[in-house]
Amino acid sequence: MYRYDEFDASFVASRVAQFSDQVRRRLTGELSEDQFRPLRLMNGLYLQLHAYMLRIAVPYGTLNARQMRKLAHIARTYDRGYGHFTTRQNIQFNWPKLKDIPAILGELATVEMHAIQTSGNCIRNITTDQFAGAAADEIIDPRPVAEILRQWSSLHPEFSYLPRKFKIAMTGSPNDRAAVKFHDIGLMAATDPQGEIGWAVYVGGGMGRTPMVGKLINGFVPHEHLLAYLESILRVYNRFGRRDNKFKARIKILVHEEGIESIREQVEAEFAAIKGGVLTLPQEELDRISAYFAPPAFERLNATRIDVEREKILEPAYGRWLENNIASHRQPGYACVTISLKPVGGAPGDATAAQMEAVANLAETYSFDELRVTHEQNLVLPHVKIGDLRAVYDALFEHGLAAGNAGEITDIIACPGLDFCALANARSIPIAQAISTRFAAPERQREIGELKIKISGCINACGHHHVGHIGILGVEKKGTELYQITVGGDATEDAAIGNILGRGFVAEEVPDAIERLVDTYLDRRQGADEPFIAAYRRLGDAPFKEALYGTA
Amino acid sequence: MEILTGNELLSGAAVYLDRDGRWVEDLQAARVFLPEEAEAQDAAMAATRATMRIVSLETEVVTLQEGRIVPARLRERIRAEGPTAPVFDRQHLDEDGHVSI
Repeated sequence: MYRYDEFDASFVASRVAQFSDQVRRRLTGELSEDQFRPLRLMNGLYLQLHAYMLRIAVPYGTLNARQMRKLAHIARTYDRGYGHFTTRQNIQFNWPKLKDIPAILGELATVEMHAIQTSGNCIRNITTDQFAGAAADEIIDPRPVAEILRQWSSLHPEFSYLPRKFKIAMTGSPNDRAAVKFHDIGLMAATDPQGEIGWAVYVGGGMGRTPMVGKLINGFVPHEHLLAYLESILRVYNRFGRRDNKFKARIKILVHEEGIESIREQVEAEFAAIKGGVLTLPQEELDRISAYFAPPAFERLNATRIDVEREKILEPAYGRWLENNIASHRQPGYACVTISLKPVGGAPGDATAAQMEAVANLAETYSFDELRVTHEQNLVLPHVKIGDLRAVYDALFEHGLAAGNAGEITDIIACPGLDFCALANARSIPIAQAISTRFAAPERQREIGELKIKISGCINACGHHHVGHIGILGVEKKGTELYQITVGGDATEDAAIGNILGRGFVAEEVPDAIERLVDTYLDRRQGADEPFIAAYRRLGDAPFKEALYGTA
Repeated sequence: MEILTGNELLSGAAVYLDRDGRWVEDLQAARVFLPEEAEAQDAAMAATRATMRIVSLETEVVTLQEGRIVPARLRERIRAEGPTAPVFDRQHLDEDGHVSI
């Protein structure tokens, strides 16, 4: 894992001191709220419906045990004993008090964490595949380049006041688990004809009120020129992105209005001017950063087959967990473990302080002190020996973390919604709870197979509803919460935006509506090996529309 | 009919202006301004701004139902009570969180 150098430590420490003084001046009345608001947002501090909310960056979703314990300590000492993991691989605390924020930031700095650039019109936390550095299907570990991008984008003076926020996601695997095509810039590992590894660059993806699939702007950028290429994109965006209308200010609108060819031309012109200059990434520097992410000291083990079918007979809950929550590791004898934060009836992404500490202990004991946060609001132990899986499961079970539902219909993404968020129009969490309760039976979930439900409480789409196989968008109509249902979204490399099929439903009707969609899929699929999204692509909207609204 | 609401600076707690010019947690204690009291309402807002202690100051439309103040928007009803899922108690003012105009 990356460790702060003197520069990192010093800029985080000076920011803590600076913001502490700004808080002090706000409390004494030297600063007005109008003056203070942009300063607090630069430090991840929002004011929500009930209280302040502090959003803390988890760089590319990677944490160690000490950091997770610090988050648990903050939850217990300054908040209400829990935290909420988000689709941007960050964590949010919903109840901190303004006067405690300097102390919280000071505590975070001791474990090399901060809340800088988790808000505001700047480059936000760079997200990546939760199995980075572990996945069997990976071409390259994206974390060294993600760390270099973090360093490049942190307090970048030219890009601190962009037209709007800017999100970068990257994956080192052809199987995209980081939704890269729905980010302002998406990076996907690619190889050139000589077999060199570099990056395919997508630009102009996003969700929100105008969902767009990112467009390929360059099929191969080598590591050494990646910073210059991204700087070129940011410069074009900074110069021409719209500042007259907040709703049209993201780069996706610029790309859409100008056309990808025109944007590519402008980026290439900028790139030609700065390529080979100060932003060239020397191989030695890439090697130096990569050394922080060297594979841990794996034991040399034989490939071990897990007899899931046998375990399912012996102990169905454990067998189910093995079937769903274990992903292939590149090292024989090891596996990646997804810790579901989606217990039936729970709030997606929430973890208590005790759970965070339990997970930290497991990371230390069984996963080389490494943890990940997923964009699907779960946690990951990336390097677990297959022989240790049972012990890990038992410890997770003890702490209410053993739900074996990863990737199933109850593994729902949901934003905080109107229960917490000042921007929301409708609640999200109760809808997620009602759906997960409706589909709680493990046999039913297994029969349905992979089905991703994503719920947002407003059009800003923090809950990724546009890319849910089934998406749910809460809106407010005449004082009532209504939920629009979309079908056919996909966040992976086969990126697609879901279609709205018709009128919205009141909250109580939503579980029935989802059940009708599911039943239609089960009736019409060609077999258990045809997942929901594949069946939808074959069948189109019609049968699902009929399921929701009848034939009239 | 409208009430005045905002969030207290230190705790972030949702608060309401009461009839005595204090910013309090209890929605039911809120002063209800009738349309003809626009001048008093504006004055209360100006005095509140001058304290610099109430953030996100807003007016909210309410009705009176069986003697109780009911905000028109669901958002405000949730804001007054606390999150519905998971259910949490609303944020409370600390000792140093009392603000008057």
